[in-house]
Amino acid sequence: MFRTLIILIISIFTFSKNANAKVDFSGKNITWVVPFKEGGGTSRFARFIQPFLTKYLPGNPTIKIMHIPGGGAIKGSNYFQKNSKPDGTYLFGCSTSVIVNVATGNPLVEYNLSAYKPVLLLPQNTHWFTRSDLINKAHDITNLRKRKLVLYALKTPASADLFHIWVFDKLGIKGAKPIPGLSSSGGYQAFLRGEIHISSHGAANYVKKVKPEIEKGKVLDIMTLGIIGSDGKVTKNPLAPNAPTFPEMYEKVNGKALAGDDLEAFYSIAAAWSQASKSMLLPENTSDDIVNVYRNAAKQMVNDPDFKAKATKALGPFPLIIGEEAGAIIKKAAIFSDNTKKQLNKVLKKNRFTYRVK
Amino acid sequence: MEQFVSSLFQLFEVTHLLFLFGGTLLGLTVGILPGLGGTSGLALVLPFVFNLDPSHALAMMIGVLAPTTTSDTFPAVLMGIPGTSGSQATVMDGFPLSKQGMAARALSAAFFSSLLGGVFGALILSVSIYYAIPIIMTFGFGEQFLLILLALLMVGALTGENFVKGITACFLGLMIGSIGTAPITGDPRFTFGTLYLIEGVPLVIVGLGLFAIPEIVGLLDSKGAIAKSLTKQKGWLVGIKDVVKNWFIVLRCSTLGCIVGALPGLGGTVVDWIAYSHLRQTTKDTSQLGKGDIRGVIAPESANNAKEGGALIPTLLFGIPGSGNKVLLLGGFILIGIEPGLDMVTTHLDLTYLMIWSLAIANILGAGLCIGFASHISKITLIRYYILAPVMIVLIFFATFNINRDWYDFIGLLTFGLIGITFKNFGWSRPALLIGFFLSSKVELLSYQTQAVYGLSFISRPVSIILILLCVATLFLLLKQKFNKSYASDIIKNKKSQIYFVIFLMFFPFFMIWNIFHLDYRANLFPISLCIISIVLLMLIFTIKFLDIKKIKFLDKGIINFMNTNIYENNNGFNNQLFYYLSFIGYLGMNFLVGFPIASVFFINCFIIFHNKKDFKISICISLILLLVLWFLSSMLTLQFPNGVIGMFVDLPWWLGGSLN
Repeated sequence: MFRTLIILIISIFTFSKNANAKVDFSGKNITWVVPFKEGGGTSRFARFIQPFLTKYLPGNPTIKIMHIPGGGAIKGSNYFQKNSKPDGTYLFGCSTSVIVNVATGNPLVEYNLSAYKPVLLLPQNTHWFTRSDLINKAHDITNLRKRKLVLYALKTPASADLFHIWVFDKLGIKGAKPIPGLSSSGGYQAFLRGEIHISSHGAANYVKKVKPEIEKGKVLDIMTLGIIGSDGKVTKNPLAPNAPTFPEMYEKVNGKALAGDDLEAFYSIAAAWSQASKSMLLPENTSDDIVNVYRNAAKQMVNDPDFKAKATKALGPFPLIIGEEAGAIIKKAAIFSDNTKKQLNKVLKKNRFTYRVK
Repeated sequence: MEQFVSSLFQLFEVTHLLFLFGGTLLGLTVGILPGLGGTSGLALVLPFVFNLDPSHALAMMIGVLAPTTTSDTFPAVLMGIPGTSGSQATVMDGFPLSKQGMAARALSAAFFSSLLGGVFGALILSVSIYYAIPIIMTFGFGEQFLLILLALLMVGALTGENFVKGITACFLGLMIGSIGTAPITGDPRFTFGTLYLIEGVPLVIVGLGLFAIPEIVGLLDSKGAIAKSLTKQKGWLVGIKDVVKNWFIVLRCSTLGCIVGALPGLGGTVVDWIAYSHLRQTTKDTSQLGKGDIRGVIAPESANNAKEGGALIPTLLFGIPGSGNKVLLLGGFILIGIEPGLDMVTTHLDLTYLMIWSLAIANILGAGLCIGFASHISKITLIRYYILAPVMIVLIFFATFNINRDWYDFIGLLTFGLIGITFKNFGWSRPALLIGFFLSSKVELLSYQTQAVYGLSFISRPVSIILILLCVATLFLLLKQKFNKSYASDIIKNKKSQIYFVIFLMFFPFFMIWNIFHLDYRANLFPISLCIISIVLLMLIFTIKFLDIKKIKFLDKGIINFMNTNIYENNNGFNNQLFYYLSFIGYLGMNFLVGFPIASVFFINCFIIFHNKKDFKISICISLILLLVLWFLSSMLTLQFPNGVIGMFVDLPWWLGGSLN
C-alpha cells in the first residue's frame, strides 16, 4: 500500500509538464522484464548491465530482473505490454527472437515493439564457415554452389534462423538443404562430425570454438554478415578481417551489387539479427526526459573503466548502440516491408516449408 | 589435468560447499522418506536453481542426487520398505539383520559400501571423460537415434512390472512430449490456441506430478509402518569391518553398477537385483542369503551407488538420461544454460570435473552423516505421515508456482498427479512415461535429421550394429531374470477398473489424431505414428487382460505367458489414495480463493487436525514457521505469491500475495 502510494506520487511528479522537473529514482525499484529463462543470453546481458545502470541512473535505484519465460518469449513480452508503466520504473530486455515474433506476424503477439523507446542495443555478428575439404580456399564458394547437397542447421523456420534460408538462396547455393531442429551448438557438433556442410556461429563462439579449428586447417571461413554503420555502409568484421561481408559475397557471386528489394531485405534482416541482437527498451509513451536520462546513464556506463575492462568478455567485441539511432534500427527490424516478406515467403516455399511470414 | 585440480579448489570455496552440503542434506532427507527419491528431490529444487550461478546449481543438484541411494537404506533396513527403487534388494538381507538386532551393523556396512561405490563411480566417470571426444565424434545422428530408441525400449521393458505395459507407457510419454510447437515446421500441436502449451508441458510439473504426489498419497494410505528405534544399538564398527573384509565384492559390484548404469535407459531399478544375483552366483555358501547375510547388503548398496557415476556418462555426453532423476538433472542443465555433448568435455570441462568432484564429496559427506548421526537421522522415519504430507504438498505447490508463476501449472501438476497415482496402482511404469516424455522431441528431430543425412543406411554403420547387438543381449538376459517370478492372477480384485483404465487411455490417441490431422505431414507424421502404435499396444493389453479375466488356458504358454505376467497389478489402496488426492484439489481451490500463503496455513492445520486433534500445537507451529519462511523468501527473492480472488477485494500485504508495488 505504502509503496503504491509513494510510486503514485512520484509518478505524478514525473509526469508534470514542468520541463525542469528532474528525473530521480532514489529509493525506487525498477523492474527489468526479461521474457526468457534465467541463464540465457538475454538474462546474462541484463545481469551484466544491471549494476552499472544502478550506478549511473540518478538516485541509484534498485533494479530487479524479472524472468518470465514461456511461449517463445511471447508470454513475457505480452506481460510487459500489459503491466509496464511509462514512468521509467519498467525496462524490457529484448532479443532477436522477440523481434522476429513481431516481424513475422505471429498472431499471439500483443506487444507493440516498434513504439518502444530503445535505450541501448548490443550488436552481434554471424560467421559462416565450411569444412576445408569442401572448398578450394577460404571465402571461395564456387564448389559449394556446384554441390548437389549442402546441408546446414536450422532451428525452426519460425525463428531468426529463417534468414539462413534467404542468405543461401541469394548466394545461389542450389543444393542448400536445412536440417531442422538443430541449435547452433548442436549444429556445430554435427558439422565437426562431418554430417553437415555449412555451419555458423555468433562472435563469442566463433572465437572460442571455431578459430582453433581454423588454425588446425580443418575449417575455412566463408563470410560474415558484416557490420552496418549508421550510414548504412557495411564494413568487415574485425574478428575475421579477411572474410568478405554478405554484400561483398553477393556481388562476387551475382556480378552485381546488393540493391533494390534484396538490399532492403538485407537491412531488415541485419537489423533484427545483428544490430538489435540484444537490447534494452522503455515502454511506449515514456517521456523524452526519462528516455534521455536512461540514454545518458548508458553513455556514462560505456565509459566506466570497470565496464570497459569487463565488457568485451561479457558482451562481445562490438560497441553498444545508444540513442536515436537505436530507435530506427528497432523499427527496421520489427516492421518488415511487404517486399521483404514476399522474399522470405518465396524461399520458405522453395524449401517446402508450410510456415509463412504474415 | 589442470582443470581437474582447479575445479577441486573451486569446489572448496565456501559457497560451493554450502550448496553442496544443502543439496546433500535434502538428498538424505528425501532418500529416507520411503518412496520419495532423487526424482522427487530434484523436481523440488529445480524451480529454484536457475537463480544460482551454474557451478553452484550443479553442486546443489549433484548434492541432492548422490546421497539418496545412501540414505534410502534407513527405511529398507529399519522398516523393510525400500526408500527408493534402487534399494529393493537391500531389504532382502538388511531387514532380517535388523530383526536379529543387528540394524546398526547392517546400516554401517550399507553406508560404507555405498560410499566406496559412489567414489568408485565418480572415478570411472572422470576416466571416461578423458576418452570421451572420439566417442562423441563417432556418434552421429543415426547412432544417437538408435541409442535413444534402445534406451526407450530398455526402460519400457525393464522398469515396468509388465513388458508390454512398460513399452506402452513409453509411447504414451512420447505422445505427451509431442504437445507444443512442432519442431520441424513450427506449427502448434494440441495447444488449443493457448500460450501455455506452446512450449509443451513443463518437465518439473510432469516430474513432481508423476513421482512426488503418488508417493505422498501412498504413504498416507499406508498409515505408516513403525520403524525400529536405533538408540542403544551397537555394532557400527563391525559393519565397516565387514565391508573391508569383503572388499572384493565391493569392487566387483561397483564395476557392475557402473557398467549397468552407463547403459542408457537401464537406470537404477534393476542394478541392485543384478548385483544381488551376481553375489548369489559367485558365492559358495548361499545358505544365509535372504536370511540376514551382511554380504547381501554390501553387494546391492555398492552397485547401486556406483551406477550414479556410470549413469552420468550418457547423460553428459549425449543428453540421454538413464533414469528418472537424470531426466530432471538434464532439465536442470537446460535451465542453467548447459548443453550436454561435446561442450561438456571441451569448453565446459571445468563444470564436468566440478560435477565429478561434487559427486565424490557428496557421497563421502552423505555416508559420513549417515554413520555419524544415524540415530538422529533415523528419527525422520518416525515422523507421522499426516504431519509430513501436508507440508510436502505445500512445498510441491510452492516449487510448482516458482516455475512459471502460472495457474495452469497447478492444474497440470494435479493432472499428472492423478496419472501418477493411477499408473502406480495399476502397475504402469512411471519412469518409462517420464523418459518418453523427455525424449520425445529428440526422437522426432533425430528421426528427421537421420533421414536427411543418411536415409536408411545408418543402420549398417558399425557403431549402430554394435548398439543393436548390445541391446538385444541385455534385454534377453535381463528379461529372462526379471520375469522368472511367478504371477498369481487370482488374488487381484479390481480387475474391472484396470480394464476400464485401458479403454480410457485409448481415447487419447484417437483424440490426438483427430486434432492434428489437418497439419502439414512433417508436423503430424511423428505424433500420428505414435498414436497408432499406442492404439495397437493398448488393444493388445486390453486383449490380454480380457483373456486373463476369462481364464483362457493358453495364457501360460511361452511368449504369451511372458506378456501376461503382471498384466494386472495387485493394489488395495487406490480408492483411499484418490480420497487424499481430492483434498489436494480442495487445497488448490483454496489457493484460488485466498491466495497461496493463507491457503497453505489453512490446509496444513485442517489436514493435521482432521487426522489427530491432539496435534494442533504441532500444526500451528508448522504454519507459523511456514509463514516466516514465506515472508523471508518473498523479501529475499522478490517473490510474489499467487494471489486469490480475495486479493481483488482486500489489499493484502505483498508477502501474503498482495501486489508488490
